[in-house]
Amino acid sequence: MKALILVGGFGTRLRPLTLSVPKPLVDFANKPMILHQIEALKAIGVTEVVLAINYQPEVMLNFLKEFETKLGIKITCSQETEPLGTAGPLALARDKLIDESGEPFFVLNSDVISEYPLKEMIAFHKAHGGEASIMVTKVDEPSKYGVVVTEEETGKVEKFVEKPKIFVGNKINAGIYLLNPSVLDRIQLRPTSIEKEVFPKIAAEKKLFAMVLPGFWMDIGQPRDYITGLRLYLDSLRKKSPANLAAGSHIVGNVIVHETAKIGEGCLIGPDVAIGPGCVVESGVRLSRCTVMRGVRIKKHACISSSIIGWHSTVGQWARVENMTILGEDVHVCDEIYSNGGVVLPHKEIKSSILKPEIVM
Amino acid sequence: MGSSEERVVAVILVGGPTKGTRFRPLSLNIPKPLFPLAGQPMVHHPISACKRIPNLAQIYLVGFYEEREFALYVSSISNELKVPVRYLKEDKPHGSAGGLYNFRDRIMEDSPSHIFLLNCDICCSFPLPEMLDAHKRHGGMGTVLVIKVSAESANQFGELVADPTTNELLHYTEKPETFVSDLINCGVYVFTPDIFGAIQNVSTQRKDRANLRRVSSFEALQSATKALPSDFVRLDQDILSPLAGKKQLYTYETLDFWEQIKTPGMSLKCSALYLSQFRYTSPNLLASGDGTKSANIIGDVYIHPSAKVHPTAKIGPNVSISANARIGPGVRLISCIILDDVEIKENAVVMHAIVGWKSSVGKWSRVQGEGDYNVKTGITILGEAVTVEDEVVVVNCIVLPNKTLNISVHEEIIL
Repeated sequence: MKALILVGGFGTRLRPLTLSVPKPLVDFANKPMILHQIEALKAIGVTEVVLAINYQPEVMLNFLKEFETKLGIKITCSQETEPLGTAGPLALARDKLIDESGEPFFVLNSDVISEYPLKEMIAFHKAHGGEASIMVTKVDEPSKYGVVVTEEETGKVEKFVEKPKIFVGNKINAGIYLLNPSVLDRIQLRPTSIEKEVFPKIAAEKKLFAMVLPGFWMDIGQPRDYITGLRLYLDSLRKKSPANLAAGSHIVGNVIVHETAKIGEGCLIGPDVAIGPGCVVESGVRLSRCTVMRGVRIKKHACISSSIIGWHSTVGQWARVENMTILGEDVHVCDEIYSNGGVVLPHKEIKSSILKPEIVM
Repeated sequence: MGSSEERVVAVILVGGPTKGTRFRPLSLNIPKPLFPLAGQPMVHHPISACKRIPNLAQIYLVGFYEEREFALYVSSISNELKVPVRYLKEDKPHGSAGGLYNFRDRIMEDSPSHIFLLNCDICCSFPLPEMLDAHKRHGGMGTVLVIKVSAESANQFGELVADPTTNELLHYTEKPETFVSDLINCGVYVFTPDIFGAIQNVSTQRKDRANLRRVSSFEALQSATKALPSDFVRLDQDILSPLAGKKQLYTYETLDFWEQIKTPGMSLKCSALYLSQFRYTSPNLLASGDGTKSANIIGDVYIHPSAKVHPTAKIGPNVSISANARIGPGVRLISCIILDDVEIKENAVVMHAIVGWKSSVGKWSRVQGEGDYNVKTGITILGEAVTVEDEVVVVNCIVLPNKTLNISVHEEIIL
């Protein structure tokens, strides 16, 4: 089986983190975002993953080479020279996706994090016998998204309504598709939208079915949702493999700590914290609802909440970092500094407090 | 050399509960003159400066607070300094000169040759013996302590012009609209007993004028309510202005620090000034420590002997910690006043702030001000018995007494 991951462009919404690495390589729960997807695909027997990408393919491939052998999965790139929307990249990668097996292939959106119930999706696809399957997820405010209206019993898609003003349903496109190769015949090599141009036609022929995604779903393409996504991911980890979560009297709620990270005396960590490889958390530190990426040092008595600390940054003694503070790579927050929602570009030293949310260039 | 017959009496004007409202919420619990700066009540600093005056017979505190509010302090300071300190309560505000005049009989009991008059809410090095020497050289009825300030800030004070060679006060004007001089009145004076005559003249003139108006003019009826009572005499407008240029008043310029203590923000700045003065006057009051057996101390810090500070805490610069305060492990204090019975819990940070009596700051909480002493919420103030719960951040806020904060607050006044 094959799969296409839509990686897309610069990942501007996740800056300043994406100033250092392409978005799919930004760590989420101690693992580059795209690895969550590749591992899930590998687990259900996918043998080749095609990345549809239009920015820095070399960086991606160099990085993923290591995982090709480690996971035993073939990873290739299909590079757009101009943006082709959400369907165009499928046409571009047509030759890589089609083989003699005639099996359906997966299409995943790289911003989305979920439990990837791909096995169930294959079973669903086989059962309905249509041409395409999409995952849908229920949301509280459907008016912000494209709503998928389905027949309740069969899951047959009736129509797509983009950002509806009045309520038509609460299921939205979750960005995970399983498509028969014949779908590629419907897509031309030009900028085109899968939701607006391709799926409505398949739906009109009653060959498109939607499966409600069990478990959580989050588009983690921006910092606030990234932090929420970590909470949902760790909740799910608690149910599925609690042994991966940290335990101890200094831990509250769901926390993952990389085995190479060191944590000092008198700390209180959690809930919803990820501490990456090689991190040093000195004594008396408080961490909650935050991600601390590889090689970070948090000095004594510092307090961090609802924030992302980028690779190899340091947070000084008695510093306070909170309220969606995002530190890019190699940022140094001096002792006793307060950052309230500071968004700091890479390689900066913060010597005076940031009292209101602002961007530090 | 002054003869042994010469005696000096000092009078410190402390005001009353209806004054100093800009000092709220700190003055809601304690008379402003007793608010501690550098760990000592505000009024303690001028009092201990008076102690340096040769032949000092008596110190009077004059104000319209209730007597009991000062009773304890007055008796303990009298014992400590071995100088009688007495509180005299005015029945109502009489103005700065009127307050002095009101108690002229008491003040003259010791037959002083000179009388110092000091305002309580100013912060300076109080060079009183030097002023007295200068006054004796000048002659005349009084000498005013003055300081040069920036031309932009001068108009908030009494501006005055002095003769550069004789130091005679030539002209005096209170808070002028246009620039007159960058020399200002510090609110510290030394007088001969002739001052009582001068005050009496103002009072009598005013009484005569009021009588004249009452019989002669209907118009006066309307403005009569606005006219000042005859026993209300201000030193600046009513005495200094008219007597300027008459070879009766002189100036003595201080080159040291001088500030007015009108707001809580200024009290934090003045606390720092007094702490740094302790380096020279009372180094024994300053704490020290390197973080091994006792807390790591940075710069000028006062810690009351009854306060408990954990050795892993880091304190300073400009911190004063009052009686029975408890400072927990890993706490960081910078530029702050911690009042009696306060508890600061593990890993909390307090900077540019005043933490009121019996308040508590939770683990990993942060109580912080921007550190601008001149704006209203430039420092954070917690009134009495305020609780900041664990991990809460309080920035640039004024919190009135008996409040519990369980969520973070920024730039707010919390009633």
